[in-house]
Amino acid sequence: MSPHLVLRVVAKMLIPLIALFAFYVQFHGDFGPGGGFQAGVILAAGIILYALVFGIDAAKKAVPPSWIRIGMSFGVLLYGGTGVATWMLGGNFLDYTQFAPESTHAAGQHWGIFAVELGVFCTVTCAMLAIFYAFGSRTPELSDEDW
Amino acid sequence: MHFSPIFILDFGLMAMLLVVAFAVVRIRSLFAIVMLQGVYSLLSAAWFVSLDAVDVAFTEAAVGAGISTVLMLGAMLLTDRQAKPIPVHQKMGPFLVVVVAGLAMFYAIGDMPAYGDALSPANAYIGAEYIEATKREIFIPNVVTAVLASYRGYDTFGETVVIFMAGLGVLLLLGLNGNAGKWRAKPNGHNIGEGAPTPARNPVENEPKPVAKSTKAKRTAKKTVGVKS
Amino acid sequence: MSIEVLQMFISAALIVSGVFFVLAGSIGIIRLPDFYTRMHAAGMTDTLGAELVILGLMVQSGFTQTSLKLLLIAFFLFLTSPTASHAVANAAHQAGLKPLLGHFRAPNPGEAVVEEEEEH
Repeated sequence: MSPHLVLRVVAKMLIPLIALFAFYVQFHGDFGPGGGFQAGVILAAGIILYALVFGIDAAKKAVPPSWIRIGMSFGVLLYGGTGVATWMLGGNFLDYTQFAPESTHAAGQHWGIFAVELGVFCTVTCAMLAIFYAFGSRTPELSDEDW
Repeated sequence: MHFSPIFILDFGLMAMLLVVAFAVVRIRSLFAIVMLQGVYSLLSAAWFVSLDAVDVAFTEAAVGAGISTVLMLGAMLLTDRQAKPIPVHQKMGPFLVVVVAGLAMFYAIGDMPAYGDALSPANAYIGAEYIEATKREIFIPNVVTAVLASYRGYDTFGETVVIFMAGLGVLLLLGLNGNAGKWRAKPNGHNIGEGAPTPARNPVENEPKPVAKSTKAKRTAKKTVGVKS
Repeated sequence: MSIEVLQMFISAALIVSGVFFVLAGSIGIIRLPDFYTRMHAAGMTDTLGAELVILGLMVQSGFTQTSLKLLLIAFFLFLTSPTASHAVANAAHQAGLKPLLGHFRAPNPGEAVVEEEEEH
């Protein structure tokens, strides 16, 4: 029997909830504390917990390293692309009002903040996971006696 | 000076932060230091909550106490478990710098605005403007999000690029698969699990790699052998 | 006696008993002799003390959204705190740390399962 049985059962219960909380923080950031950065870190922490309990190879199957390379760049491109889109619509860089100029309750601002926070979320999650994968993959399998 | 509960709480948290900071400086076991840094982050997060800076506290708790502890542990596994003792004469220079900087900070305390002063530079000019304008320009309740994502969009873009660059730098130096298991960590100078070489973790991903990388890996392998013999 | 006063007394009693357990655990960490007994003091009292404090706060806030959030916190604490204690104690046992116990010596991890092996 694995000595980590209790850890695995509890982690299996908690990791979906951690991911759910990350998305709550992401999409509720306009109304409460939180935003893309915090949500990205929380989601990455959930995946790192999975890697610590079930092994880094299992985590790499769940979140392949190729996704991380793509996601990291996609986030920055989404942020920059929002700015370029506001250029194209005739405003300044990152001037979100251009998305809905006639809106009376600043819908353009809401769309802009949503896109930008999503970009931050992607980049932060993937960068944190990239750093963890890079460090974690270099460590040889430690037997517990080595501590 | 009045001793309200909040004041006592702030004072207690600051005192605990000081104790943890001294412990981090004094202890030489790196594992304990990493754990104490997590404790430090959690304490400062609690302190930020008592200062009503909920967003900062949230970030500090998630990043400082959560992710960075794990990453520091991962980095520690690749190096030693113990910090090398530093002789006293090498400590004198840094000590002098710390003393001078600390005295300068104490001297500067007199010019600091009082806590919560509405007329202090941080609260008076642009900050008050943002708080006032968020309600009629952006229509979201959380002023912090409005300032970060809209008013200061450039700065946040810069921060995102910084995080991207950090991840990119680590990927360029280490690679996502850690050289596919060819590199061996040597904590405290001895190989872990010496004997049977660990098989490559991802043989499928390992093969189509460019030639330059494999020669580099071979060179490092040769170097390790040279050191050992 | 109105309901508010009753609420306040119940919540005060819960919080004070919670603080008592946390204090007992802290004294245990300092006073007890070895790792496992300290873990025992810290792990059990910490969970119970924190749960009691949160329960007291829930009684104080009544049927509100705050109460629901506190209930969630209590649930997660109830799951994670014993698990963390278990993980730490298990890691210490796996690493071969022996409890400090008079004449009795705990078997090495692995030895209890395979008794014929003469590796050590």
